[in-house]
Amino acid sequence: MIRSRRSIRYLFYGIAIVTSAIMIGPLYWMVATSFKVPSGVFAAPPQWIPDPWTLANYRDVFTLLPFARYFLNSVIVTGTIVVLNTFFDLAAAYAFAKLRFPGRDFLFFTLLITLMVPFQVNLIPLFRIMVSLHQLSPVLGVNTYFGLIAPSAIQVFGIFLLRQFIRSIPDEILDCARVDGASEFRILRRIVFPLAVPGLATLAIFTFLGAWNDFLWPLLITQTDQMRTLPVGLALLARRQEINWGDTMAGTTITALPMIAIFLLLQRRFIEGLTQGAIKG
Amino acid sequence: MVRSLARPVPSSRPSQPGLSGGRRFAWRVRRGRSGYLFILPALALAIAFLYLPMALSAYWSFTDFNGLTPPSWVGLANYQQLLTDPVFLQAVRNTVVFVVAGQGIGPILGIASALLLNNKLKFRAIFRTAYFVPVMTSLVVVATIWKMLLNSGGMVNLIFGYFHLPTTDWLDNPSTALPSVIAASVWQGFGFETVIFLGALQAIPREYYEAAMVDGANAWSRFWHITLPGLRPTILFVYVIGIIQSSQVFDQVFVMTQGGPIGSTNTIVYELINRFNSLNLGQASAIAYLLAIVLAILSFVQIRVFKEWA
Repeated sequence: MIRSRRSIRYLFYGIAIVTSAIMIGPLYWMVATSFKVPSGVFAAPPQWIPDPWTLANYRDVFTLLPFARYFLNSVIVTGTIVVLNTFFDLAAAYAFAKLRFPGRDFLFFTLLITLMVPFQVNLIPLFRIMVSLHQLSPVLGVNTYFGLIAPSAIQVFGIFLLRQFIRSIPDEILDCARVDGASEFRILRRIVFPLAVPGLATLAIFTFLGAWNDFLWPLLITQTDQMRTLPVGLALLARRQEINWGDTMAGTTITALPMIAIFLLLQRRFIEGLTQGAIKG
Repeated sequence: MVRSLARPVPSSRPSQPGLSGGRRFAWRVRRGRSGYLFILPALALAIAFLYLPMALSAYWSFTDFNGLTPPSWVGLANYQQLLTDPVFLQAVRNTVVFVVAGQGIGPILGIASALLLNNKLKFRAIFRTAYFVPVMTSLVVVATIWKMLLNSGGMVNLIFGYFHLPTTDWLDNPSTALPSVIAASVWQGFGFETVIFLGALQAIPREYYEAAMVDGANAWSRFWHITLPGLRPTILFVYVIGIIQSSQVFDQVFVMTQGGPIGSTNTIVYELINRFNSLNLGQASAIAYLLAIVLAILSFVQIRVFKEWA
């Protein structure tokens, strides 16, 4: 009995180790290939450790290809989207949760309805709206930061999530502040914001992940290398007829690494945030 | 602020005994104004980038529209043409295969690996991290890596060859291209389900299992009568989200196969973008609405079915 139980545990460890290898192996291969010379990429037998190893692929990616620019664009777009969502979603969530005004519940309901509609429905009109806006001003619309950011500057899901959080704040605390003469804006900033921090952290995680990895919209709305984000630049590189795998894997590593690094640093927060979102939402 | 609690506190309900009528009214107006002010950014953005596009594409789906000349009304013609268009129907078939296979394998793998990790394995955190890391990378990254691994001279063929399994040019072979895209997608996504199911498993009270052990229930009946009911809300969540997301598959196809070979990996959204690029905006809009309607019905049915199962 004890023997068989122990062998079952060994089996479990065996399965866990093999499956983990299947998960980590391709990522290791991505990093390894990014340091290989062209003849080493598909060499037989495979080179587990690049021999010889080279930094030429990274030099190519930053000099021949505009990956530095892609990276900068991704940082600007993702950062702005996270900040705007924090403010706009929180303000709207507070109003929908705690303030009373005519049409409140109806407006909230019309927002919730849009959660049922996949993004592809909005895609084409959104593109044409951006074309029109670009004719108004060169900083608006197609191939601009505005075009990349504006459609993601609020998220209905974010408003919904934060509203759930804010509803659990007792009305008495808010009323006390009102009696003391605090404006609603001050209440939002000094009372609601600090109390909503756990919800905001969850939202920031979802928003950050979604914005950094977003592909379809940035693909359509950007037209020059100056404006492309990392996933778009990478995809266009990986679609070429003659692929230079060393360069491509260097680009892939640059795209993947920031997310993996941030995840490893903030692992606990990430997993709690996702699990909460799933189990409560 | 704490001291002010001692005073009669007016509640936010309409009946506020502590305040006179005039002041109460002024208060409500002020709070109402703040309310509109606070939802203004969200509402303005929603009107410009959600409601207006939704209405426009609904209208365009009933028109012949190339984006250059004004749209002309054609009624249901776009929808009728799509439902008999072999290219679109193949895209629908491929998408159904992608969703059914992906959602058949992914969440089951997620439950299996969550159960595995829930066995108090040592280094559980390391295994969990290994499963989850691909979730953090974008689909474009995953597609690019697998495009290399599935290359005719790539790692997959080397390993298959070593074990005397059949090898092929996976992404250039019409019968293996779609399964390859599915495999890469499952590889990327099931860590998410693992983590969520692991969280749900740990939320099931231990006492239930202890009571069942006392009653002499075996491992299978403990799983069937305690674990599975405990996971039910999570299973619903995973499937509703999973089906909605995987029906919109695009990124992997764009990078790995571009819909080919001979349309064997063309999907609904990939075909939508094709029609958009060929300036057939009426049909592209109709595809988007067909997708939206089917997804809405599917989500509704799933929620009903899971309620019945309770």
